[in-house]
Amino acid sequence: MFVTDIRKEFYEVVANQRVALLVAPDIDALCACKILQALFHCDQIQYTLVPVTGWQDLGTAFFEHKKQFRYFVLINCGANVDLLEMLQPDDDSILFICDTHRPVDVVNVYNDTQIKLLIKQDDDLGVPLYDEIFRDDEDEEEEEGNDSGNESDNGSEPSGKRRRFDEGEIERRIERQREKREWEARRKEILFDYEQYEYHGTSAAIMFFELAWVLTKDTKDMLWWAVIGLTDQWVHDKITNMKYVTDIGTMQRHVSRHNHRNEDEENSLSIDCMRISFEYDLRLTLYQHWSLYESISNSCYTSCHFKLWTLNGQKKLQEFLADMGLPLKQVRQKFTSMDMSIKENLREVIEESSNKFGLKDIRIQTFGVHFGFKNRFLASDMVHASTALLESTEKDKSETDNFIKALDSLSRSNLERLHLGIDLAKKKLIAIQQTVASCICTNLILSQGPFLYCYLTEGTPDVKLFSKPMALTLLCKYLLKAFIQSTRNKRCRLLPLIMAAPKDVDKGTVLVVGIPPDAETSDKKNFFGRAFEKAAESTSSRTLHDHFDTSIIELKTEDRSKFLDALITLLS
Amino acid sequence: MEALYEHNQADVNDAKSQQRTDLIPSVRFRHCCLLRNRRCVCTYLYDRLLRIRALRWEYGSVLPANVRFHMSAEELQWFARYKKSLASYMRSLGASGGLDITQEMKPPKSLYVQVRCVKDHGELEMDDGTLVLLKKNSQHFLPRWECEQLIRQGVLEHVVP
Repeated sequence: MFVTDIRKEFYEVVANQRVALLVAPDIDALCACKILQALFHCDQIQYTLVPVTGWQDLGTAFFEHKKQFRYFVLINCGANVDLLEMLQPDDDSILFICDTHRPVDVVNVYNDTQIKLLIKQDDDLGVPLYDEIFRDDEDEEEEEGNDSGNESDNGSEPSGKRRRFDEGEIERRIERQREKREWEARRKEILFDYEQYEYHGTSAAIMFFELAWVLTKDTKDMLWWAVIGLTDQWVHDKITNMKYVTDIGTMQRHVSRHNHRNEDEENSLSIDCMRISFEYDLRLTLYQHWSLYESISNSCYTSCHFKLWTLNGQKKLQEFLADMGLPLKQVRQKFTSMDMSIKENLREVIEESSNKFGLKDIRIQTFGVHFGFKNRFLASDMVHASTALLESTEKDKSETDNFIKALDSLSRSNLERLHLGIDLAKKKLIAIQQTVASCICTNLILSQGPFLYCYLTEGTPDVKLFSKPMALTLLCKYLLKAFIQSTRNKRCRLLPLIMAAPKDVDKGTVLVVGIPPDAETSDKKNFFGRAFEKAAESTSSRTLHDHFDTSIIELKTEDRSKFLDALITLLS
Repeated sequence: MEALYEHNQADVNDAKSQQRTDLIPSVRFRHCCLLRNRRCVCTYLYDRLLRIRALRWEYGSVLPANVRFHMSAEELQWFARYKKSLASYMRSLGASGGLDITQEMKPPKSLYVQVRCVKDHGELEMDDGTLVLLKKNSQHFLPRWECEQLIRQGVLEHVVP
């Protein structure tokens, strides 16, 4: 059931109890986890934090901890699956779920006792009504009883009466059965429509920040984490533009509330204190920690618009830089060492020039933080750095090790880790751009009819980076945008894209990711989750649907072709 | 030291019996060497005792076998007597059973501490009977007194938020 008053029904319930936190591996979940940890530290609520990387991991962790804990909080995992069936909790366990995955499973919505959803109800959920899905079976038992009662009376009643009763009974029974069949068919249809598309709702970090705000225990650190959680959803293209702008507006109110409290002429804060500011900043990834030229070459938006994998594109880039009056030597330097005179009006200058060249949305609303003289970060910088740490492909580092590293990098006291993350993120972005360029130039993207398909062979450089789900999804999105720019086939521009990359060479598996078609006003709803499931079933391919995002699966390399064929027939 | 002592004895006897005063400086020299060596050995033994005393504060009242291996029998005896003396002192402090002063070595900042598990340790039973499963890379927020022993052993790592 949905929790209406998060303070009374969640926080005060766990106030004197011990809680187990099961957290999914994405940045939004990490930020939500940090906010909740800070709240728990404040009120001395004992907890245990366990990172979970997939459904199997969730099951194992729950099983191991269910004897010791009564209250569980699941962050960014569990809402879209029937948890009672999957985890089989004891009768007195209570699970609080704060998850951005939609659609929320109907069992989770309508269970009143054990599952509490920390989700806003006005989040355009569209949950079907109770009566349309669940039906009491009491009527059926009564009619069975009546029928058998009548049949046992058959012998004693006179035959005329019996025939009349029988006819009435049979008619009613047939009527009831027909109704039942109709109801079941309707129910199947409703459930199919409801569960067909997968999408994301309000960030979990924002939910917990609002809890902190209601408790008046919110701090700037928590606000910054909430902003990072929201930005993660935008960077990985999980929410629509409209929703992003709306949520930014909400965050902006909180930011001005925090800023207003502290700064005035007599007591200005020391330079080391943390300041969050609203920025209408450039959409160039990591540009303040890189050189401007590298950032423009490796950001999806600019690279796709200029088509930087072609010679023409490179020339256009040079024209663009010349138009702005930026000397090449300056632009190739580290951003922090560029001339102050250039940096002062950089954003306006770039915006003007980009409008001339057709890049309409070079600036985006976001937030930045700075503390101390050296440390300035934008929210998207933090997201890229933490994601790179979370999915780093170093040997001998388990996924939980990476989780801990990424969690640490979000604190202000771990700046070296953050800088390490930024370096890893730069390498990842360069790898993505090179792979996109090579895929487009060698025409690796094939149109299979209802969708586009691309397969990264094992020899591709940096293919190890793409054995991780979020990196592969990012590559997928950039590739689709680049493909749309480079193809002349109008129909192909509206197709979704499926990408496969080798995941584990020893086990012989590939990671398959499907993303919806790219459009300005797309609602980011992904139907590949169900499609993959059906295709796997029909061809009995060996697949592992372990990720919390159902559109990402692992598949045996040999089953690749028959799986694809099944998908083509399913979707055409 | 024994060799030096033997030589000295011989020379002293010689000096006394044969009135050889030229042996006296060498006797004095050897005597100084003997005194110096004795001082060094005493310092070494005293330093060992101080370290053994520190071990009680670090490891608790039962020493690990590899440490006990390096101690002589007399040192073990001394350790047992020190333990007894410390225990009777602790019993005399505070009401009803005394106060364990080897627990909080530095003044604690808070009652609860955030720790991260560095290696798998299995289940930990706390004072009130509740169990916590210590799995690698899980983080916990537990009362300080439960964790200190494990932090010292290296199973848990204190995390600064």
